[in-house]
Amino acid sequence: MNAAVPGARPAGSLATAWRLAPLFARRRDGDRLATGLPVVSFAVVTALLTLVLGGAQAFFRWDDDLASTYESLAVIACVLLLVPLSTVGASAARLAARRRDERLASLRLLGATTGTVTALTVLEAAVTALLGSLLGLVLYAATAPLVGLLHFRGAAIGSQMWVPWWWLPLVVAGVTLLAAASAVAGLRAVVVTPLGVRTRQRAGTAHWVRVVVAVVVLVVGLGLTQALGLLGQLGGIVAVIAALAAAFGGMLLALDALGPWFVRVRARRQAKRAQTVPRLLAARMILEDPKTAWRQVSGVAMTSFVGVFGAVGLAMAAVSDDASMPADERWLMHDISTGVLVTVAGSFLMVACSVGINQAAATLDRAAVHVSLDRLGVPRTVMAEAARRAVMSALWMVAGGSALCAAVLLFPLVGFAIFVQPVAIVTALAVFAAGFLAVRGAAALCTRLVPGILARPERVL
Amino acid sequence: MTSLLRARGLTMHYPGGAAPALDAVDLDIAPGTSVAIMGASGSGKTTLLHCLAGILRPTAGSVTFASGAGPVEVASLDDDGRARLRREELGFVFQQGLLLNELTALENVAVARMLAGVPRAQAETEAGQWLVHLGLGGMEQRRLGELSGGQAQRVAIARAQVTGARLIFADEPTGALDSATSVEVLDLLLAAVVAGRTLVVVTHDADVARRCGRTVVLRDGRVVSDTARVAPAASVQEAAR
Repeated sequence: MNAAVPGARPAGSLATAWRLAPLFARRRDGDRLATGLPVVSFAVVTALLTLVLGGAQAFFRWDDDLASTYESLAVIACVLLLVPLSTVGASAARLAARRRDERLASLRLLGATTGTVTALTVLEAAVTALLGSLLGLVLYAATAPLVGLLHFRGAAIGSQMWVPWWWLPLVVAGVTLLAAASAVAGLRAVVVTPLGVRTRQRAGTAHWVRVVVAVVVLVVGLGLTQALGLLGQLGGIVAVIAALAAAFGGMLLALDALGPWFVRVRARRQAKRAQTVPRLLAARMILEDPKTAWRQVSGVAMTSFVGVFGAVGLAMAAVSDDASMPADERWLMHDISTGVLVTVAGSFLMVACSVGINQAAATLDRAAVHVSLDRLGVPRTVMAEAARRAVMSALWMVAGGSALCAAVLLFPLVGFAIFVQPVAIVTALAVFAAGFLAVRGAAALCTRLVPGILARPERVL
Repeated sequence: MTSLLRARGLTMHYPGGAAPALDAVDLDIAPGTSVAIMGASGSGKTTLLHCLAGILRPTAGSVTFASGAGPVEVASLDDDGRARLRREELGFVFQQGLLLNELTALENVAVARMLAGVPRAQAETEAGQWLVHLGLGGMEQRRLGELSGGQAQRVAIARAQVTGARLIFADEPTGALDSATSVEVLDLLLAAVVAGRTLVVVTHDADVARRCGRTVVLRDGRVVSDTARVAPAASVQEAAR
């Protein structure tokens, strides 16, 4: 039995993690992409968040009759961007956990407590987010003048894009805390044992009950949008916007409920019909965990959904561009379109970051599979194609389903837009094309991790 | 007898390694034989298998494989060429099986044929026949998690043979199995030898080595013993029954 060191007291988890952190901070070969991605992602997220806050606080400086409408829209845009922000944080935490897996497992083997491992991972996620958010502020400083060129209410936002200086440390602290919180949530999805880190097995939850719930939400959302006229008469434009926001949020929830179920059903069909190895592997990868397959690309659901709204908004703005309308109302219609498109562009960047990180984490998660296939002589192009197909197949499902849901929700307006304003269709198609390219690009980027995995197969077998 | 596989001066240095993992190894493997490679941990036996199979490219030396199309210098092939050789000419049964968890037993075997361009229906028919032959009839649609260790190794053995590979490499194929299951798995591998295939097994297990026709012992990356048995693989006939 080891004798206790005289006078020594057992260290707390946080203190231990603090002492170990510098050892873990050393860069490892082949880890550059895995290390850099979360930092870059948090930088983009911080820049976007600060830009949105800058734009939002510009709206809050107005105090006329339409001020509350602009304030509501700014809040909706912020909420829309907070959702992918938290997803990016959780993804970054998961990636960090996978990147450290052997050393975390070794620590557990040496007797480190779950608390120490958790503290270490959360600390790393927080430091990553801190570095990323500081970089993000630089990015904000570089892009704010460009975004300031956007016109709202007939004038460029200009210097109003600059948030008060004391907001900046709050943004950095907020992003860092959110990343730390997401890291805790992300760690719940993996089990760090002395024998390794493994993904926690969860029962398949892609149940048909989700379909029922989603249909109910869809019907309620449809009801709300059909009653917009009545709501407008009763509560004015604020009530209309609140109803639209409720319908919008409900649809997103419905999408999230339906997504995994549809992804599983479609993947099952694809697995039965697959005639090539990449197709078979892709379908089976999705079936392994439809919920994860959905979540990996679910950010695009929101983007596609918002894209259809944006396209219809553009069409409505063009149609309502009538000289007889009061200037304020004309500006409002234009500004809604601009705001939606700006939010969509922001969402794209978030989605690209999220997919990049998720794919990097998934590639590391599936390192053993890559090694297995390589040893069997499976060409690396087959592996890359299977991974890409697994993402893109789910993406088709997600983007198509979301756009369809949005089109159903806005059915009369979409029909109107198609006939009156073909530009709306072009915008929608551009939104989809950009989303697909962003995801494909992010997925392709992560295939660069594979050679590193294959060069050191003993790490994963 | 003409060698199916011939290694000359096979040397392997890992980056940062003080001593070579393999040090000028010469080896000839005749077709239709079973060869056990033994040695202590770190002796270089798995590295030797990986170099012979084209998984690793040796630092120096040559590996010549007598493929159906003529002799192939394995060590000089590029990554794609070695991958093609592994896919089309060689079979693998490793300790972990290297099977794909997402796929069913049938699909794991059929994938090897599909990679050669065989239509899925035909590939699955052939795969199903092998699974039945190896005692896994009725388990074709099971996922790996639903199979025992021995059953998973049978799937790996089926996959190694379904392509018609003439040379099978096995790395500790019984390492994770109980003794009874180990005997069954080894019987199946040796039955492949009786059917005309060649088997190279890396093992710690003297019982496994004893049943092979020849045992090569490595120490510090060098061959220190190479013994052929007069009456090799006593239970091969049993395995063939």
